[in-house]
Amino acid sequence: MTISIWRYSHLALAVSSFIFITLASLTGIILSFKPVTEKTQPYKSKDFNTLTVANLIPNLKKAYIDISDVSIDANQFVIVNGTDLNDHSGHFYVDPKTGKSLGKVAKENEFFRWTTTLHRSLFLHETGRFFVGLTAFLLFLIATSGTVLIIQRQRSLKKFFGKIVKDGFAQYYHVVLGRLMLIPIIIISLSGTYLSLQRFGIIAEQKITHKVDFDGLKTSPEKKTADFEVFKRISLNNLQAIEFPFSEDVEDYYTLKLDDKEITVNQITGDILTEQTYSKATLFNHLSMDLHTGRGSAIWAIVLAIASANILFFIYSGFVIMWKRRSGRIKNKYKSDQAEFIILVGSENGTTFRFANAVYEQLLKNGKTAFMAEMNSYQVFPKAKQLMVFAATYGQGDAPTNASKFKSLLKKYKQPNTVDFAVLAFGSHAYPDFCKFGYEVNNALSHEDWAKPLLEIHTVNDRSPEEFTRWATLWAQNSNIELTLLTKLLETKPVKTQQFEVVSKTVSAHAETSFIIRLRPKKRKRFTSGDLLAVYPANDHRERLYSIGKMGKEVQLSVKLHQGGLGSSFLHHLEAGQSVNASIVRNEHFHFPAKAKTVIMVSNGTGIAPFLGMISEHSGGKNIYLYCGFRNQDSFSLYQNAINTETNKLTKLNVAYSREGEKQYVKDLLLKDEPLVCETLKSGGVIMLCGSLGMQKDVIELLDDLCLRSQQKSISYYQSRGQILMDCY
Amino acid sequence: MNNINKWCLAFVLVLSIPTLSSAQKTTKYKCMVQMTNYVGEGAYIAVSLIDAKGTYEKTLYVMGSDKKWYPDLKEWHKAYKKKPVNISGITGASVTGGDRSVTILDIDDTKVNKGYKLRFETAVEDNKYYVKDLEIPLTTEGLAAKTEGTGYIRYVRLSPN
Repeated sequence: MTISIWRYSHLALAVSSFIFITLASLTGIILSFKPVTEKTQPYKSKDFNTLTVANLIPNLKKAYIDISDVSIDANQFVIVNGTDLNDHSGHFYVDPKTGKSLGKVAKENEFFRWTTTLHRSLFLHETGRFFVGLTAFLLFLIATSGTVLIIQRQRSLKKFFGKIVKDGFAQYYHVVLGRLMLIPIIIISLSGTYLSLQRFGIIAEQKITHKVDFDGLKTSPEKKTADFEVFKRISLNNLQAIEFPFSEDVEDYYTLKLDDKEITVNQITGDILTEQTYSKATLFNHLSMDLHTGRGSAIWAIVLAIASANILFFIYSGFVIMWKRRSGRIKNKYKSDQAEFIILVGSENGTTFRFANAVYEQLLKNGKTAFMAEMNSYQVFPKAKQLMVFAATYGQGDAPTNASKFKSLLKKYKQPNTVDFAVLAFGSHAYPDFCKFGYEVNNALSHEDWAKPLLEIHTVNDRSPEEFTRWATLWAQNSNIELTLLTKLLETKPVKTQQFEVVSKTVSAHAETSFIIRLRPKKRKRFTSGDLLAVYPANDHRERLYSIGKMGKEVQLSVKLHQGGLGSSFLHHLEAGQSVNASIVRNEHFHFPAKAKTVIMVSNGTGIAPFLGMISEHSGGKNIYLYCGFRNQDSFSLYQNAINTETNKLTKLNVAYSREGEKQYVKDLLLKDEPLVCETLKSGGVIMLCGSLGMQKDVIELLDDLCLRSQQKSISYYQSRGQILMDCY
Repeated sequence: MNNINKWCLAFVLVLSIPTLSSAQKTTKYKCMVQMTNYVGEGAYIAVSLIDAKGTYEKTLYVMGSDKKWYPDLKEWHKAYKKKPVNISGITGASVTGGDRSVTILDIDDTKVNKGYKLRFETAVEDNKYYVKDLEIPLTTEGLAAKTEGTGYIRYVRLSPN
């Protein structure tokens, strides 16, 4: 829940202050040009750094009959306030080396002054100053909460500058630029806050008064200004201003404002009369002014301008993100108690809603009654026949905020009828806990008696339209929905098929017909066991997917013939030598793990197909355990030859027969080998499942129990780390 | 030496500007305003020549350049509005608490020792306004003395430039 607190404060702060921040940023951008234009003026002396006050004063006295003060501005321009030899009074830029006037100091630019007032007080005097100060502080809070959000998003401080998952333009650049501009923005907001606090007297301002002992003033020995020891020691670099004695009376003295202190100096003897160092508050004030205005550094001023421009972009992109999130809100046509199709969405920033919406629209188009809601709105759906869950994973494998209560609600509300369910998990491989929450939801649903899997869980990495379409196609076929909108919505490329030649077909000789078919691609094509072969039996959009076992250079499929099954009867009718159009779909998540030392393969029925290929390709060095389930010895016999030739590569083969002998299922065999199963997971090994969804549900339930018992970790932990690989149908 | 030069120069200047030739002879005075350590924005200060009856005769200097704040110097602004003159040549920066400001005032010699006064009127944004922060009698002694202020000004010193 901490996530949403930070997010809500980030949003609430931004919403409450964005008008002021916009104004301050706009005026800030304009004002940043002031130091830049000043810097380009030619009043800087080459010798500035080498000169001391002892050089400066005699040089100036040559060119001015009277000087009341000299100041050095942030650009290291020397400004004299006095009367020159032509009796012209005023402020002049001078060359400290020659005392020559370089030009009269121009009146402050009206436009910059107007902008400064707007920036500081919005023309509202004290009230305006208060709001601007408050806004600076709010900006600091927004930057801080933004930092926390980035840390949460990146999952650790170390990865703060790591890769960012691209979630669309506004979101992506909000985060990317946010990190980049974080430091300038924090500096701007903190210095602005500090200046305001001092302005309102909350931080006391230091007022220096020099208490000169007039009775103790000496008039001898008289020295020339150029010989004053103290003046020789002060270089112009450290000088801010000199107030000249008002008259030649000894009671009038020099006051020098340096970087860190103020001193007064006897104008006749050159003795230091008093010395007062600046308080920390004063020094901090100077620093804040430097940092906030960029005075004296054109580069920093440009950085400030860029940061201000970015703040404007953050306001824009922030609102786009908020608007997107809000527009993801649901407008339902049917009520929850009328709908047969229930779509639940768990999404942190609303993008998952886009996918869910596509499915929702598709259902309505097909005349179905559909209802869409956030996962936290889970309840009893009296008429539900199908439940689809679109679950994104957020942060460290957490539930999105709007799905945080789902698991407890699921235990509380039981559906009255059997409901087919399908979970589509959204996530990113950029995070280690890939789709963890999706797996958790799928596993939790599997535990419910009323819930029957329609499809196995699928994952969508980084919003891949391909992955989503693959799922949507499968889903549509299984629910008898014609996909019309989706293809348009997601604009998938037409599938490229290629020609395969049927090499052989082996049909089992018993009532439950299964067969093994081998195909050779006519053109070279890279593929591996676990990939899928998409077949188009009617040469239209309908595709059927089969798990590939790679045997040499050939594709081996294992198919069970279904009565009236479109795909299986199509393949069954093929004869050796015939050609067929099909395409290979990469199915990375079910490839043979390269690194794991131990692999447990679990299958039932024709699900053994990819494993046969993997075992045949495998070159040794791993412990491979195969657990396969069949109805009886007859159905196993189809594969027996293939397995017998590879037995040396298998550490152990376990076969369960469900209709013969002990009438076991693969889960029973796994339970017997509990220590092996637990050790495999613990040591980083991989368990692969291929077969029916019913088998998958049973096995996952069993594994969950085993894990909780032995390691106190739920199975979704291993699922999200790729230690449980599933390809079921 | 310097002084003679200056006088000559001033003389030449006066002669060279025919519009000014009808004006009376003026003397430049260096004027130093030392502020108290008050907290707040820079003070706006109007220096005016006031006759014996207390009416504004002439603006000698305005410290503070943003016209927006001029109405805060109420009395001076009233007189200024009645008889607007160009003051751009005698305008300087406002003065913050603790600072000092040195300016040059042009004072008509014929007004000295005639019952005239120099009025220093001060105002600070969202803060108090002083009509007579301080007044200096325009006499030979007054022009040489140090005069204490009653508001934002600690003291004012004048000396012939």
